[in-house]
Amino acid sequence: MNAFYLFLAVLVPFVGGALNPLIPWKKRRHMLWYLEGLVTLNSVLVWMLLLHRPLEKFTLVNFTGNLAIAFQLDGLGTVFAGLISFLWPLATLYAFEYMTKEKHEKTFFMFYTFTYGVTLGIALADNFLTMYCFYEMLTLVTLPLVMHTLTREAILASRKYLYYSIGGAAFAFIGMIFVITYGETSDFLLGGVMNAAKLSEGRNLFLLIYVFSFFGFGVKAAVCPFNSWLPQAGVAPTPVTALLHAVAVVKSGAFAIMRLTFYCFGADFLRGTWAQYLVMGAVLVTILYGSSMALKETHLKRRLAYSTVSNLSYILFGVTVMTPAGFAAGICHMVFHAFMKICSFFCAGAVMHQSERHYIHQLDGFARQMPKVFAVFTAASFALMGVPGLCGFVSKWNLADAAIASGNVMAYAGVGALLVSALLTAMYMLGIVVRAYFPKADFDYGTVADVRDPNWMMLAPLLVFVVCIVGFGVCSVPFTELFAAVARGGF
Amino acid sequence: MEHCLLLPVFFPILAGVLLLLKRDFKERRSLLVYTGAVLVLGGAFAFFAVMVPADGVTLFYLTKEFPIFFELDTLGRFFSVTVTLVWVLAGFFSFEYMKHEKNEKRYYGVYLIVFGVLLGLDFAGNLITLYLFYELMTLTSLPLVLHTQSREAVMAGLRYLFFSFAGAYMALFGIYFICHFGTTLRFTAGGVIPAGALAEHKTLFLVVAFLMILGFGVKAGMFPLHAWLPAAHPVAPGPASAALSGVIVKGGVLAVIRVVYQMIGVDFLRGTWVQTVWMTLALITVFMGSMLAFGEPALKKRLAYSTVSQLSYILFGLSVMQGEAVTGALLHVAAHAFIKVALFLCAAAIIYRTGCTRVDELRGIGRGMPVTLWCYTIVSLGLIGIPPASGFVSKWLLASGSLASGIPVFSWLGPAVLLVSALLTAGYLLPVTMKGFFPGEGYDASRFTGKEPPLIMLVPLLVFAALTVLIGLLPNGLTDSLYTYAVHLLTLEV
Repeated sequence: MNAFYLFLAVLVPFVGGALNPLIPWKKRRHMLWYLEGLVTLNSVLVWMLLLHRPLEKFTLVNFTGNLAIAFQLDGLGTVFAGLISFLWPLATLYAFEYMTKEKHEKTFFMFYTFTYGVTLGIALADNFLTMYCFYEMLTLVTLPLVMHTLTREAILASRKYLYYSIGGAAFAFIGMIFVITYGETSDFLLGGVMNAAKLSEGRNLFLLIYVFSFFGFGVKAAVCPFNSWLPQAGVAPTPVTALLHAVAVVKSGAFAIMRLTFYCFGADFLRGTWAQYLVMGAVLVTILYGSSMALKETHLKRRLAYSTVSNLSYILFGVTVMTPAGFAAGICHMVFHAFMKICSFFCAGAVMHQSERHYIHQLDGFARQMPKVFAVFTAASFALMGVPGLCGFVSKWNLADAAIASGNVMAYAGVGALLVSALLTAMYMLGIVVRAYFPKADFDYGTVADVRDPNWMMLAPLLVFVVCIVGFGVCSVPFTELFAAVARGGF
Repeated sequence: MEHCLLLPVFFPILAGVLLLLKRDFKERRSLLVYTGAVLVLGGAFAFFAVMVPADGVTLFYLTKEFPIFFELDTLGRFFSVTVTLVWVLAGFFSFEYMKHEKNEKRYYGVYLIVFGVLLGLDFAGNLITLYLFYELMTLTSLPLVLHTQSREAVMAGLRYLFFSFAGAYMALFGIYFICHFGTTLRFTAGGVIPAGALAEHKTLFLVVAFLMILGFGVKAGMFPLHAWLPAAHPVAPGPASAALSGVIVKGGVLAVIRVVYQMIGVDFLRGTWVQTVWMTLALITVFMGSMLAFGEPALKKRLAYSTVSQLSYILFGLSVMQGEAVTGALLHVAAHAFIKVALFLCAAAIIYRTGCTRVDELRGIGRGMPVTLWCYTIVSLGLIGIPPASGFVSKWLLASGSLASGIPVFSWLGPAVLLVSALLTAGYLLPVTMKGFFPGEGYDASRFTGKEPPLIMLVPLLVFAALTVLIGLLPNGLTDSLYTYAVHLLTLEV
């Protein structure tokens, strides 16, 4: 297909989203059909692009020299764009039901749809500058979503989110300057674009810059010590927490780090240096920190948010192994975790929507009242723990295998950290499941009598996700081969 | 023909899931008929699969190189026969016992699922499949522990979960390495890791072996990760405690055998610190379990401590890595399974009929429940190791194997500890018999009159008591084939 369509895929959500508040909807349902149709159409467009990949790039603006806003579609972008465009229509459907109890729907959905375009922009960016622009934009368009309820808590959370993200982007900006200045081309190129002579000349400087920009992008990917914004941002409505703070926004951070590591600096340059050990150390600390905090947390969504913190660092662990196998494993976890986590968040959202309960100790006996939601939640928990046969096992397997194959002793320790974290995951997820299925013997079901499974708009996405979780787990081979091809550059 | 391996695994699982999803039966009888039919059919399928030689069958590929693969070898056959016997009989026992518990449908559904999962564990043909079913075993048996939903049960359940997964992930750490360096994941006597890799990464593989023994040893209640067992087993409903303590713990033993003898290989481990530490831990557990059982007043909890101790007899036999000792360990797997299930079922029958849970309440119980107490006594003798019951043969083999192994200190320390523990076993089991049959002059035991449980409870007890005596009287056929297999596991020349 013509490369222009890449730009179109980014543009459609902007135009469509901006129109939404302008149209005087007679019925709420009409707005749903409009938004759902818009998002689905765009997703179809993206998938057509993925299947008939344009080989050339589309340059929108050429500022000067090699500074340009341009779009292209390579292996990594394909995976990320495919993931985003698969999840968005489902999340929109869910959001529409969820938002019946919230105000300011029109603006909410405007920004929600904007975010789709921005995230696609990051996925399809051809060079660092384009990615950086969309990355900054992502902060700005998601800010109103975090602030949505306008409670004091929400405003504080969004302020923190803003400061962290802008601060992180500033550090990433330093990296961008170096990549543009010392890169042989400004496009992303697997294996790195930096000038070899310059690299060997200022080795430590470049490593330092890499570390700066790693942590800069790492803010969005919630790397320790820059992750406290994420659990706080859980005050946003659940569709935002589920799709943006478990997938789109945080994975944009991980995606940017992948671009930075493998497509700008080059893994060969970084492997075995102090920079690798430093970032891997931070990632391992985050894995354990996130899981431990999740275990301690009693608020349902915040617990899941901490779980996200930990799981994002699984992805980054794969990246910091800095081998093609590690990269592939990181991509694999990026995709699989998206399904597991959005699924568990949607279950949490369903619970909150149907019962107005937010804390885990209030969930006694819910499984009998919401059997479908909790069956799905249990499956997602098992997947997150890494029970074989579900997708979580496969991605963790690939991570561990890559770590062992790298022969790096710190990566061996990383395998240990993954497993400790898996144990903590088992405890913090199954703690909820056990409570819901096995309340105390004298529990009075009268207190939860009015709690019911939600309607099809919430259940349908859950069903799709659970099918994916099992499907990825049972026939993982084509997917892992695809990811391996992406990581080798053979795609 | 090879698909006959799938039937005993997936039929009970599917039947159990269906039962859980189904609405409540109108009559209790229909529930029992359904469960009984599935148990009998599942058992029949299992025996058929054990009898008929079949090739392995691949279900699907979990990761690129590693399939979920089922295959039966001698070890799998031996374990699955034990599991099937116990599961079916204890299932029939529960038909009566579960009358006084709630949520019967959930119990039977889970019970059937665990049956299939255990058979899957025994039929597993490679390490990944074994691991899959090992994790499933933990997850699916959890509802049995939680069943009563008392605060105690929930705490015990979470503890069970924590310890089991801690163990499973320790083992998984090792599995990652074995998969990376090993030539195959099929179980191969003597190990699958090339000698070159073993020599190059000696420390790594010793650590891996140790972690895997410790990790899978959690299920078998090995010190220092035994604390979940005495908490989790007694809180389950009676027949479920029996099943947990009789056969689910053996899942850990099976996994240890698979890893030590068929993945890493004993030649690599013999004489290393791993063997020494393993033997030490096993002996500590044997002694400690018996001591704790001796001091425990609640009958079911006492039996759970006894399981801790007895399982480490098996682990000790395996750690010696000598033909006779391994034979003894394997025989003790079956012997202990039947004995411990019978003991727990006795305890369950007593609780069901009289409500007594503490040992000191059982004075004079032999007057009212003579058959139950006789069964209790016979299998107790077996557990202590008094001829002609089965425990005698297995312990004899364990002790003589240990003495013949020539390992410094442990060759005589082992039998000595086993002997002391046998004394303690007598000390914690026999008082029930003595006080039960001989409450003393003028003691009023009339509260037990006519409390003998119905036939459906007595028959499983009698079968297990008979099996205990039978194995004790005619052990040779079984021990010979087990010895042949032990020699094969140790890759010795015959």
